[in-house]
Amino acid sequence: MKGVPILIAVALLVTSTSYGQQQQNGQQPNGAPPSESPIEPRPRDVPPGGRANTPAQNVVAVPVPVAPPRPNGPIQKSLVRITATEVAPDYRAPWNAGMLGRGVGAGFVIDGNRIMTNAHVVSNSRYLTVERDGDPNKYPAKVLFVAHDCDLALITVDSPNFYKNMLALKFGGIPELESTVSAYGYPIGGERMSVTTGIVSRIDFQLYTHSSIDQHLAIQISAQINPGNSGGPVMENAKVVGVAFQGYSGDVAQGVAYMVPTPVINRFLKDVSDGRYDGYVDLGITYGKLQNPAQRKFLGLKDDGRGVLVETVVAAGPCAKILQPGDVLLSIDNHPIASDGNVELEGERVEMPEVVERKFKRDNVKFDIWRDKKSTSGSVQLDTVPPYLMQSHKYDVRPRYVLYGGLLFQPLSLDLLEAYQPTDLRLRHFFDFYVIDQIYREHPDVIVLTNILPDPINTYLAPYRGGIVDSINGKKIHTMDELSQTLAEPADRLVIDLIGDGPPLVLDPKQVEGARERIKMRYNVVREQNLQEQPTTKAPDLQTKI
Amino acid sequence: MRSLFISVVFALVVTAGAAVKKEAGSPPNKDVKQKVLSLVRVNVTGQPYDYFRPWQKKAPVSKRALGAVLSKGRVLVTADLVTNQNYVELERAESGEKTAANVEVIDYEANLALLQPSEKNFLDGIAPLDIAGDTVVGDRLAAWQLEPTGALVATEGLVTTIQMTKYPVDVGQFLTYRISIPMQYRENSYTIPLVKNNKLAGLLLRYDPRSQLIDAIPAPIITHFLKEAEGEHYQGFPGVGFSFFPTRDPQLRKYAGQTGKPGGVYITNVEPNMPAMKAGMQVGDIVLAVGNHEIDQNGNYVDPLYGKIDFTNLISAHSYAGDVLPFQIQREGKPMELKVTLEHRDAKDYVSPPYALDEAPKYLVLGGLIFQELSRQYLKEWGPNWQREAPQRFVYLDHFQSELFPGEHRRIVILSQVLPANNTIGYDEFSYLTVLKVNGQEIKSLNDLAAAVKQPIEGGFIKIETEEDPKQIELEAKSIDAEAPNLQENYGIPSLQRLD
Repeated sequence: MKGVPILIAVALLVTSTSYGQQQQNGQQPNGAPPSESPIEPRPRDVPPGGRANTPAQNVVAVPVPVAPPRPNGPIQKSLVRITATEVAPDYRAPWNAGMLGRGVGAGFVIDGNRIMTNAHVVSNSRYLTVERDGDPNKYPAKVLFVAHDCDLALITVDSPNFYKNMLALKFGGIPELESTVSAYGYPIGGERMSVTTGIVSRIDFQLYTHSSIDQHLAIQISAQINPGNSGGPVMENAKVVGVAFQGYSGDVAQGVAYMVPTPVINRFLKDVSDGRYDGYVDLGITYGKLQNPAQRKFLGLKDDGRGVLVETVVAAGPCAKILQPGDVLLSIDNHPIASDGNVELEGERVEMPEVVERKFKRDNVKFDIWRDKKSTSGSVQLDTVPPYLMQSHKYDVRPRYVLYGGLLFQPLSLDLLEAYQPTDLRLRHFFDFYVIDQIYREHPDVIVLTNILPDPINTYLAPYRGGIVDSINGKKIHTMDELSQTLAEPADRLVIDLIGDGPPLVLDPKQVEGARERIKMRYNVVREQNLQEQPTTKAPDLQTKI
Repeated sequence: MRSLFISVVFALVVTAGAAVKKEAGSPPNKDVKQKVLSLVRVNVTGQPYDYFRPWQKKAPVSKRALGAVLSKGRVLVTADLVTNQNYVELERAESGEKTAANVEVIDYEANLALLQPSEKNFLDGIAPLDIAGDTVVGDRLAAWQLEPTGALVATEGLVTTIQMTKYPVDVGQFLTYRISIPMQYRENSYTIPLVKNNKLAGLLLRYDPRSQLIDAIPAPIITHFLKEAEGEHYQGFPGVGFSFFPTRDPQLRKYAGQTGKPGGVYITNVEPNMPAMKAGMQVGDIVLAVGNHEIDQNGNYVDPLYGKIDFTNLISAHSYAGDVLPFQIQREGKPMELKVTLEHRDAKDYVSPPYALDEAPKYLVLGGLIFQELSRQYLKEWGPNWQREAPQRFVYLDHFQSELFPGEHRRIVILSQVLPANNTIGYDEFSYLTVLKVNGQEIKSLNDLAAAVKQPIEGGFIKIETEEDPKQIELEAKSIDAEAPNLQENYGIPSLQRLD
């Protein structure tokens, strides 16, 4: 087995000679060509003997190439390695702090003494350190802004020495298809900076898996990107053209990696320029193409290839005031909308939502509308559409829950589903159709009885697990706050009706009160409820105190 | 490939032979010699309908099985053997003589069917099997299979459990024997009779070769089926139309106002137009006894043969549609008796029928849009994991149909897919939509839809409204008619609709 990594290491050494001077350490394998004397001794070379139990122990460290020719300049003066200690909330025991984990990602210095990285590198972090090449120190860092919807974050280091000798990188535009780009980062396979190159394969809208509901422009590149590349810059001609952020694991597809392109990055930087991140706005509508001749004729439209059909208008979205299903959108901000949903922006055909992608909270958007064979127009102030958040991953929050008589009530969310993996058809329906069927109007929180901590007072209640709370003592329950208040009200008995045909769940509040301390003790429950998804760490001052 | 196949068959025959010797060596099975002739081979060619192309059938599949010869020249098999059959053939094991057969009676829910040979004298000389009704846990039953030579292989197994389980079409629960048995594969493992003292004790329902466990349709269900099959109109197993919940929880008993000793089940739902509701049953009632049998807190009664078993057995196995069954209940602490006249609920009486077998699916093709009625049969086209893989709204509508459409006589009409054609330009990505209205008229069946499309709205348009996006689809009536021949030609559709 040992032969294999050694051979790989040799191959790497050989290929990297093309960069110029090489530097060796004490672990040079037999048979490798002797090296030139090192130009710059590196303190972080793998020491003789290596670290126990690391797969890399037999791998000879690859020196960072230092001399030209390198098209992107001395990247190690901009690149940083970020180590995040994170605490992921435990949705199955939400009173606990959660699972402790550690992750390594990359970042790069930009203007204003800021470091850009991915949101997922710093999400749920409790402590962040930053290292740079050629410097033995670890610098504590703090988060300035996190954008979970586009997987970008800005962090900074307080230490005044840190930014000395660091170069802020500049951003470029959208690279051409087939042009060569290089990705820098700290992927698995070694400790030092890694460079991979590839070409730009595709420019398209993609799902950003960090939130798992947001779709933005993303650029697919053929450069190898692995865990640890996240947050690292992808460069072309000494300019950042993207931030590496996601890819497929090797068993799904190979050589498919994605980077956040500069239009998304620039929007993020502009959004935070006022000191807060507002996030992407959304129209809160669905629309369809209008390519069918009969349908166009029915709607009284000319055969001019223009207009899209409004299908669903989310009541909680900004367009609910001016649009209704069946409307035809003819133009957006005076850009004509083609019947396939495309508009022309700065000479390029893009999908209509791209117009909104470039806007910010409280910006306006204007539509020319065709309704009942008459033309009209309307303008709305853009905003986020909160119900969508239920279907997205959440970070840096404490899960909400209420524990009562050993019964654990939690609001339905993507994180909850992933924690419990329920197969219940009703739960799945409430989740899948929460926004599109506007379930949120009646159930702002879909309150699920997720678990029962066994105790003599609830010993027969196991069959109720997975039920969704409809009402308590005849009163409809819409939110976790209402649930908490209603459970606290004095009553002779509590009759909890769950949605569907099942029997009511009946509890005696006196018994529950009597069992309270017992359940808390037995299951080590520190708090019986949390109703606020308050941020856990984001006040930057807290960071340095840890 | 061919030589490999033959060697596999050969290997199986060898093991089979070994098994027979062993069985014959240990306790001699007296049944073997005498009862060889109580079995016939049943060869079936079936062809299920293709719900994704509802105008055609799938490729034919052949099955070889055994049938148990009963009195009056009838042959008993499982229903799933002869479901969607095109041709059924009986074959005498000892002579290889064959004749065509008809399916006389079939009950998909109980998974039983009776066959009759077209040649009246075909079964002459075969001693019919009687039914053994008294099997209990601990009895030994023999599974009967045939060697290619026609010789009998009898494998004995032990009845380990007698309980209520779901049968393949998943309508209610039926009594089931579970038998631990080291059974080997034979070429005709479809319907395998289980025999006790020369009498038919059960028919194979399913077999798990890993755990070597058989679930068998038990004699009481077979007897019920045969008894009803002798009448003029076969109705099927009866139901009452309620849902219930155990009353183990003292808080729930208190809530229901139950007095006296604990026991009975809590009624959580009473379906409209079904026997329980007609008899006056209400949600919150506690059913304490059915007939003369007391029901415990878990919903079990004490059966003289099986001990504690789910009380629904009293309804399905012991009663017939039309019987009046007294239910002792407690309502808010007061005892009452309800006389429930049992009825069979036909698959057609559901909003989304739980099964539709041996009948052609309805459909209507309109300019390339394919409309169908939602049924579980349709959803099962997605395979064994259909609950996960079929369109989720359809799965939800099917699963919660009694809650979503209480007491309604209707169907759910769906736009299942779109065939690209001149009329459907721009619509070809639509699929799995729920139809609400056509030309302003509410659609509660495919026939509603067929009638509605004949009345175009102003301008000669047909307007289809759906629950899901796109919400509205328009077609031009005259263009649909003009393009119809092309559509039929291009996609090989013999008829653009089937409505009955």
